Amino acid sequence: MRKFLAIVKHEYRKVVLKWSFLIGTLLFPLLGAGFAVVPAVIFSIKGEPVRIVIVDREGKLGPRIRSNLSPEKIAEKQAEALKNTSFEPTAAPKSANSLESVTAGFVFVPYDAKGKPDDEVRAELNSMAAEKEIDAYLMVPSQMGGKFEFRSRKAGDFAANAMLEDAVNDAVRSEKLTEANITENTLRHINEKADIETKAIDEHGREKNSDALLAASFIIGLMIYLSLTIYGQVILGAVVEEKETRIAEILFSSARPFELMLGKLVGVGLAGLTQLGIWITSLALLVGFLMLQVDLAPFLAGAPHITPLMVFYFLLFFLLGYFLFASIFALIGSMVTTVQEGGQFAFPPIMLMLIGFYFSFAVIRDPSSPLSFWVSIAPFWAPITMPVRILAETPPFWQIGLSILINAVAICGMVWLCARVYRVGMLMYGKRATLPEVWKWIREA
Amino acid sequence: MEQSEATLRVDAVTKSFGDFCAVDGLSFNVRPGRIFGFLGPNGAGKTTTIRMIVGITVPDTGTIELFGRRINGMTQDHIGYLPEERGLYKKTKVVDQLRYFAALKNVSRKEADKRIDRWLDRMQLSEWKNKKTTDLSKGMQQKVQFISTVLHDPDLLILDEPFSGFDPVNVEFMIGVLSEFRESNKTVIFSTHLMETAERLCHDILLINKGRKVVAGSLREVKESYGRNRIAIRVEGGSTLPAEFPGVVSVTEKADEQILDLKADADPQELLKQLVAAGAKVTKFEYVEPTLNDIFIEQIGGTK
Repeated sequence: MRKFLAIVKHEYRKVVLKWSFLIGTLLFPLLGAGFAVVPAVIFSIKGEPVRIVIVDREGKLGPRIRSNLSPEKIAEKQAEALKNTSFEPTAAPKSANSLESVTAGFVFVPYDAKGKPDDEVRAELNSMAAEKEIDAYLMVPSQMGGKFEFRSRKAGDFAANAMLEDAVNDAVRSEKLTEANITENTLRHINEKADIETKAIDEHGREKNSDALLAASFIIGLMIYLSLTIYGQVILGAVVEEKETRIAEILFSSARPFELMLGKLVGVGLAGLTQLGIWITSLALLVGFLMLQVDLAPFLAGAPHITPLMVFYFLLFFLLGYFLFASIFALIGSMVTTVQEGGQFAFPPIMLMLIGFYFSFAVIRDPSSPLSFWVSIAPFWAPITMPVRILAETPPFWQIGLSILINAVAICGMVWLCARVYRVGMLMYGKRATLPEVWKWIREA
Repeated sequence: MEQSEATLRVDAVTKSFGDFCAVDGLSFNVRPGRIFGFLGPNGAGKTTTIRMIVGITVPDTGTIELFGRRINGMTQDHIGYLPEERGLYKKTKVVDQLRYFAALKNVSRKEADKRIDRWLDRMQLSEWKNKKTTDLSKGMQQKVQFISTVLHDPDLLILDEPFSGFDPVNVEFMIGVLSEFRESNKTVIFSTHLMETAERLCHDILLINKGRKVVAGSLREVKESYGRNRIAIRVEGGSTLPAEFPGVVSVTEKADEQILDLKADADPQELLKQLVAAGAKVTKFEYVEPTLNDIFIEQIGGTK
């Protein structure tokens, strides 16, 4: 047992202490953070309020613009914009931080333009801007259809500029509507889009958001598929290295081959769990962080509900898949003589995984179909398809249990098979073993 | 020698791979405090036998006992094994590799660290402790491999072709370590096909060929049993002389001397007398022992 633990520790350290592991582990959350958090942080740095003078000789548009730029109106528009955005997980942080939320707002500086010609007003306001008494001014034309003049020291503040433009346009429109005897409310009523809401209904009759489900299921399937591929290759590389460098001979003279092989599988598997754990934790932290930044409630309401039990199932099925495929990769590693040769032989198991990954799409589309049932209990495919199915529409427990049982039995078979090939293959130097030879080792060992 | 005193007892061991019989009913004992030379041509079954002793493979029939106990996982911890083809993890630090190999032999971490420092210091590798294998020269890697073999202070050291690829300085160093081992009453088995090395180091030898024992015993006994009447002479003024003498079977000309093989019952003293009487000026007259190489060639060559 002490030796077994030493083997597990050695294999774990060998993977975890590598740069590639560190980079791979950190890259995923960092990329996530990069796409979600950084824009949020940058946009959350609000600018100074814009001190603005509105020159309005007619007195019609000015008040409307002013009220459009008031904090209450801005908040109202923001809420509206949020409501109209259809749910898209990737777009969520962006739309939540739409421009309205990032400007500190406007401060209206009183200015009396009465009796002064336009040129004098311009000159006066320009010098006020130059002395930094004001940031911008807007001259409202005396006739409808005339030109608005907007001059700003901060012409680059696109957020403020866009808001001002919106406010002016809205003011002009409502003025025109008033002239035509149409109220703003009537117009909004006319413009309202038909609202189509697509939601899946789960077996309890609860509604689920199908877009979010698709995305989440896809991410889970992809994550498991990628981890299995990566850690399968790690195992393959580690086995071939010990064979290539003849370390196997020293190892076999110190511990039982079965102990060595299992220790390797467990050690590398723990490294994989570590990575998945870091990813899941950072994902949870990310969501938590975003919740602090903006109100995610409207999005989370539509997002699939992930329970701790589901997370446990994902990790469990990852482990099942890992042991199934890792033992295949270990078997291949002990058959071949170089990593390159191993790469060629790695094709069949990778293909097997890929098929499982493709099946997960069928599962997402119809989680309760007979096909979904069979592929989610079949060995080799269940580790990818079952988590997807659990997320899409959790099947009855007996199906999950059956899937775990079948795959656990398959693991025992694979590990047994692999141990026999490993024992003999690791000491066969020089040439690659042929399949009949491998078959002989299995029968005779 | 009493049987019970043997460190290692190999009894009627047979191992086949398919139709090929690699080791065929092999029996021998290895005594404590001796350096045991395990000799034979390539493919004779040396490595197969060693692998069975260290528990990598299991004999088809026959038994192997170490310190009076059948070999198992526990006996492995008392053996230090340096395989013929050996390696290290390429990208692992020297100290981490050594710790791992020590842990696999049930050495505690604390004890392992102490021994690693001592051995690295002795091998003048201390500054390479935290370097990776790929940074080490081949000679240094060999030293590290050797350290990994002795870290758990084994009672039996098995070295398979240990000197192949070693530079002469390392060879001398290792021979020194082997002598220490023997002095502390530990046992060393080493296999080689280099007869000169075996002759220099071994107390006992076992020569096998095609999986069977050919010659076994102490170096002295073996040589005596192969004792032949062989004389090396150097004679000034008359190189044609010897063949005419009775009792001489054959003459081999060397650069500045001649090797004479005499009949088993011929007396070398008589030959010398005759040479002197014939007026030859004898500058060298020496009895030649058979070398292991001679025995090897005679035995193996004959069975081929």
